Amino acid sequence: MASEPVDVLVIGAGASGGVVALRLAQAGFKVVCLEQGDWLDRADYPGNKLDWELKARKDWATSPNIRGLASDYPIVEDDTPVSPLMYNAVGGSTIIFAGAWPRALPSDFRVRSLDGIADDWPIDYFELLPYFYRTDKQFGISGLPGDPAYPPDSEDAPMPPLPIGSAGMKVARGMTKLGWHWWPEFNSINSAPYDGRRVCVQRSTCQSGCNEGAKASTDLTHWPKAIGLGARLVTRARVREIETNADGLATGATWIDRDGAEHFEPARVVVVAANAIGTPRLLLLSAGPGHPDGLANSSGLVGRRLMMHPFANVAGLFEEPLMSWAGQFGDLIESLEFYETDERRGFVRGARWGLAPTGGPINTALPSRAGEQAWGPAHHAHVRTHLGHGANWGLFAEDLPDEANRVTLSSTVTDSSGVAAPEVHYTMADNARRMLDFHIERAKESLDAAGAYKIEVDRLMRYSGWHLLGTARMGDDPKTSVLDRWNRTHDVPNLYVVDGSCFVTSSGVNPTSTIVAIALRAADHMIETRFEQQVPA
Amino acid sequence: MTVEERVALNDAERATLASVADRLIPAADGMPSAAEVLTDDRLRFVLAARPDLLGPIQAALRPDLGADPQARIDALGRDDAAALGALQLAIVAGYYTDKRVRELIGYPGQEALTIRTWELPPYLEEGLIDAVLARGPVWRDPSTGKRAVVEGAPRTYAERFAAPPEGDSHGHDRA
Repeated sequence: MASEPVDVLVIGAGASGGVVALRLAQAGFKVVCLEQGDWLDRADYPGNKLDWELKARKDWATSPNIRGLASDYPIVEDDTPVSPLMYNAVGGSTIIFAGAWPRALPSDFRVRSLDGIADDWPIDYFELLPYFYRTDKQFGISGLPGDPAYPPDSEDAPMPPLPIGSAGMKVARGMTKLGWHWWPEFNSINSAPYDGRRVCVQRSTCQSGCNEGAKASTDLTHWPKAIGLGARLVTRARVREIETNADGLATGATWIDRDGAEHFEPARVVVVAANAIGTPRLLLLSAGPGHPDGLANSSGLVGRRLMMHPFANVAGLFEEPLMSWAGQFGDLIESLEFYETDERRGFVRGARWGLAPTGGPINTALPSRAGEQAWGPAHHAHVRTHLGHGANWGLFAEDLPDEANRVTLSSTVTDSSGVAAPEVHYTMADNARRMLDFHIERAKESLDAAGAYKIEVDRLMRYSGWHLLGTARMGDDPKTSVLDRWNRTHDVPNLYVVDGSCFVTSSGVNPTSTIVAIALRAADHMIETRFEQQVPA
Repeated sequence: MTVEERVALNDAERATLASVADRLIPAADGMPSAAEVLTDDRLRFVLAARPDLLGPIQAALRPDLGADPQARIDALGRDDAAALGALQLAIVAGYYTDKRVRELIGYPGQEALTIRTWELPPYLEEGLIDAVLARGPVWRDPSTGKRAVVEGAPRTYAERFAAPPEGDSHGHDRA
């Protein structure tokens, strides 16, 4: 048990936790982080080994329920068509994320004003822009400057774009025929040696950890630096509860080690960075006499408004070999042609398209996402025509907030430490269904224009809950939001939430770039207001 | 349980595995059958990577499902999809991690490639980016609710490359 409270306790060593810990350590704060996972050795990652596709379906699955590792906690997902995905380790889900790095767009912060639905954010794109530039440098972004889907930038990505491959070129030509927007994707993957990390070798195994260390993950980009500045990172530390005192201030956290022993880490300020499933779970677990419905939950919104970006996959098959098992999995190219609202389409808001590699032979030979099976004499022709001949558009639909989509605590399922598991209740909205249906048709037209002779569709992929958002939204009114505009909880003045839980609306893009920019902004504000910060006596 | 024990399927299980493997992936089109490829070495390799598959595979090979491989596959698909999935995965993984099979399908594995960022990307050379830029901004300006108008926005990549904008050209301050 630590005797002296640290300045800041960070819970979770993933993307946002890494950013906040490093920034605070740079400013001289005494920082401790509790992380339920371990440090990983990238030499152990399966991507450069023969058994990659086998392990990617179990120990390296993106679903914690499939992995079932000691570092994972179960998620009850009987009441959702989309499974939440994450990783528990130093680096968090950046270990297995694809690395695509689009920013939320300006309109994403003004959904109520522009489209009359959901809510506006208390902050906007232009306020975040300086933080985007800084986190782009911290994570190491590769990209082609000048994308007209965004306001012009004054700073370019620190590295040139990654190649888009034969599949990317094929589809880009199709998009050009149609006069539709496309752009080489921005990825947090090195296209050149950067910050002591190596260059991407195009293995396309980004979601099983990057053997090269070319993909940014905070175990590489942030934690070694934070630790070098004095931050202490405790692994295998599963936080059970954030404790509070009679003044309603957070005093630290109780955590459980792998042997089941309980510890208490006292702190002047607590920062939760446990993702939009883990964070509401912890706040709900931290209910106490003065807050029987969970900590920081006077609004009743902790755990509510869960958004996960319903995802469809549209795959085109081409006669020519495209070697599409190779290339950054982050994304080759993207399109934002149909991102903004056009009410004539029968729905509001839009979706981002990302073109990704298509996987190896085991993935190809097994029944497809779209349910296609090819066994018997036709099997060989199926593999020959599919392996390396595909181009996949992934369609991320903007998910609008709905209070019925929520995270609660299970009354029957616990993790290996005996702590209640989160239970996810989620229904895909009609607006999102219409949106995906529209985008699927456009994506089919795109692949058709590119010359695909066959197109296969998965209309809603179950294992696609990569983007966990919204369960502790920010806002100016404590009655209708959990956090203020600086990510501080309205109820507890020394408690912050810096992960994707803070999102007011989901945008329709991969959120990590925006999450970490917001986290850095919150950390800067904590530094600027350090002398006004209320802390326990 | 050791790796050696994990492949210790009895003779009946091996025979059943071979019959299902041949039904799923028969010899055809110049390719060997899965039964031919799925030696003890390959099965040992699969189970070393995925020891969790052993139980479901043995369940899928249980004798009461009869001798007809297709009837077995159909019954498993109907009553025990997890066992069928494990069996299919083991057969496919054993097959497609075999060196000869990989050579025959022209798949080199997830090999390390050198990216050539010093070369002009072909999409720039072909003018595909110019075509995107020529259409102008596509983002929606929250101050107007309409597609943004950006004065002086580059309409070719050469223009953008020659003179990257100093600000965001949208009246917003840069920190």
